Amino acid sequence: MKRQAGQTCLVLVYAKEAPDGAQVYNQRLQTINKEAPDNVEDRITMDIGKMLTQLGSGMITSTEIFLLTLLFSLPLGLVVSFGRMSKNSAVRWITKGYISIMRGTPLMLQLMVVYFGPYYIFGMKISAAYRFTAVIIGFVLNYAAYFAEIYRSGIESMPVGQYEACKVLGYSKAQTFAKIILPQVIKRILPPITNEVITLVKDTSLAMVIAVSEMFTTAKAIAAAQTTMVPFIVAAIFYFVFNLVVATAMEYIEKRLSYYR
Amino acid sequence: MSANLLEINHMKKGFDGVGVLKDISLAVKEGEVVSIIGPSGSGKSTLLRCATMLETMDDGELIYLDEKAAWSEQNGGENHSVYASRADLKRIHKHFGLVFQNFNLFPHYNVLKNIIDAPMSVDKVSKKEAMERANKLLKQLGLEDKAEAYPYQLSGGQQQRVSIARALALQPKILFFDEPTSALDPELTGEVLRVIKELASDHMTMIIVTHEMQFARELSDRIIFMEQGIIQEQGTPDEIFSSGNARVREFIGKFGK
Ligand SMILES: Nc1ncnc2c1ncn2[C@@H]1O[C@H](COP(=O)(O)OP(=O)(O)OP(=O)(O)O)[C@@H](O)[C@H]1O
Ligand SMILES: [Mg+2]
Repeated sequence: MKRQAGQTCLVLVYAKEAPDGAQVYNQRLQTINKEAPDNVEDRITMDIGKMLTQLGSGMITSTEIFLLTLLFSLPLGLVVSFGRMSKNSAVRWITKGYISIMRGTPLMLQLMVVYFGPYYIFGMKISAAYRFTAVIIGFVLNYAAYFAEIYRSGIESMPVGQYEACKVLGYSKAQTFAKIILPQVIKRILPPITNEVITLVKDTSLAMVIAVSEMFTTAKAIAAAQTTMVPFIVAAIFYFVFNLVVATAMEYIEKRLSYYR
Repeated sequence: MSANLLEINHMKKGFDGVGVLKDISLAVKEGEVVSIIGPSGSGKSTLLRCATMLETMDDGELIYLDEKAAWSEQNGGENHSVYASRADLKRIHKHFGLVFQNFNLFPHYNVLKNIIDAPMSVDKVSKKEAMERANKLLKQLGLEDKAEAYPYQLSGGQQQRVSIARALALQPKILFFDEPTSALDPELTGEVLRVIKELASDHMTMIIVTHEMQFARELSDRIIFMEQGIIQEQGTPDEIFSSGNARVREFIGKFGK
């Protein structure tokens, strides 16, 4: 992933000063706002091509956040939903607490906790490389909670007759879930999953809060530097097209699963 | 070895302290067709569910082919059923099948897959063997042209026949039916009853909960009349249909046209 020279520099300052997180954070916001104007050369020479290259790298970062979040949070959500439905009441309450915290607090705040947490709680030095990892951890933890509740509602909506038929036929619990229950659950939960996935596309912009140069961060920086709306328009088109692709893909999957009722 | 495929001794089952089955004892011989009749709430389904281990009984003994699935043990002054080990139960499970009132077919599998999946993934039968069984059953049950259909594309009567085929594909020794035609339109019950009659003439051992009195009368070797969690009366169809027991007469009078 390509970052602007100016930003890399800032990241270093940032890491060094990490002890006072809040202060650093403020500083960081200020620097984002004035970083590009400082870069005199950029301001003068940036043409559309260069702008698009930079926005392109932001797009790649946004797409990475999106894909990695789905890759980890979809399976993790299933595990969490099992915890939520566990026979063990301790497990059930812990997962319930986790889900309600994740759903009850802003993702932006969660990202900051994941990023600054290791320093405040364990006194660990926060490296610049951790920034992207923190974004992924934050997103995965947050989205897994939402997915868990969707899985749970789907699993609980299955008629008991399906379980009983499996039991009488001799299927093991694992076979029952993998072969009979899960495929039907996936079909049932596809619409709410689609909603979450579309929200995720837009939520990737929240990575800005810990200064990961995804699409929106980049657009904002360039727009401020070049005093032009163009990057925002490009960003809008990006999110819109991205979601169009997502919606089309989900529709396709839904169609593929419509061979039965 | 006794000729009993199934033996239930002193089965008791309650829900939230309310006794639903109160000391049920019952033995079924190989090739026997037993019908269970009785008013709603008398515990017929509960009896079937305990016999097929969908429900755990509170006390009593459950024996398939001389192998104990559960037995009674004294525990703190009270008797409770104790079940066999998982491995034993898994083996015992293979002795019986159950046909549900509302079919419970797997909607995401076509007819053929509904029938071959359990033999293949539970009994580890080869695909070839499973297909042979399925094709034979489809023919026997008049479903040859429905192999590729999905359950939602079938009538209730066809769905019920598929669910019978699905149960038979595992080659159980006993087949239980819980009101197999109650969810069907009257004009569709005939095709399902006909299939069950054919099975009876092939000497399939069956225990059938039904409200179809005429059917029970024609088909059964024995009819059991249940009421309030006990077997009030049992006997040959002729004995039951000419019973002196007022409750039995009243019940048959209501349903038996
Ligand atoms: N899971 C359960 N929890 C609580 N009560 C139950 C449960 N299953 C059955 N019962 C009760 O047990 C009694 C017997 O029910 P059961 O379903 O065995 O009757 P049935 O003879 O099959 O009646 P029907 O002819 O209506 O099917 C009823 O009073 C019912 O309410
Ligand atoms: Mg019943």
